[in-house]
Amino acid sequence: MTDDVGTPVPLWRRDFPYQAGAEDEVTRREFTRYLVLGAGAMAAGNVGIAAWTQLRSINTGEPRPIVTLADVAIGQTFLFRYPTPDDPAVLLRTGDRELVAFSQKCTHLGCVVYFEADEDRWHCPCHEGNFEAVTGQVISGPPTRPLGRIDVEVRDDGQIWALGRAE
Amino acid sequence: MISSRGPRTSGAVAVYVIVLVAFQVFLLTVAVEAFLEDQETLAWATAAVSVALAAGAAMFLRWLRP
Repeated sequence: MTDDVGTPVPLWRRDFPYQAGAEDEVTRREFTRYLVLGAGAMAAGNVGIAAWTQLRSINTGEPRPIVTLADVAIGQTFLFRYPTPDDPAVLLRTGDRELVAFSQKCTHLGCVVYFEADEDRWHCPCHEGNFEAVTGQVISGPPTRPLGRIDVEVRDDGQIWALGRAE
Repeated sequence: MISSRGPRTSGAVAVYVIVLVAFQVFLLTVAVEAFLEDQETLAWATAAVSVALAAGAAMFLRWLRP
């Protein structure tokens, strides 16, 4: 099939013509074929997203040192990445040898939370979600689940180790 | 211009198309939100419904074949 100047008309233009008079060329079957391709592509995308979500949640992390205890003052936070370089996390020193660490991603829609010392809470600025400082439990806002906790410990050499994400 | 062969798409087919496409887009949105919230159960449930819809579309195409 060619146009007025002899250029071959691509299949997509034949199936979806510019002029109403040419609409007879589109059959239900042809239209549905595109529909199936579109639905199939979106279904494949959905499966891919589900697999990605699953794989990401499987990785709970291997134990590794984060920082020395002397480098974090009481009441101060330290940002690090755990379990992968794509996962922002934050450590809070609450006492002499007392520490808590959480994933920095808000459990609502993944924005980064930060520590508000005045309010003693984790705050998500995107949708005003708030979490309790030590437990990570939801205080207010749209999140329904607590922050993802990361187990940490101080070893004899003064190093703070991340031990893995708590299930 | 009205086709000499009359309407080519029934109301049922039009509704099916609208529901299928709109629902697939909705499911994709839910899947992305499930990803952001780390809710793998919801993500897999969404994927299952999406695949079932796509399979339904494929069966519909087969039914239309002469």
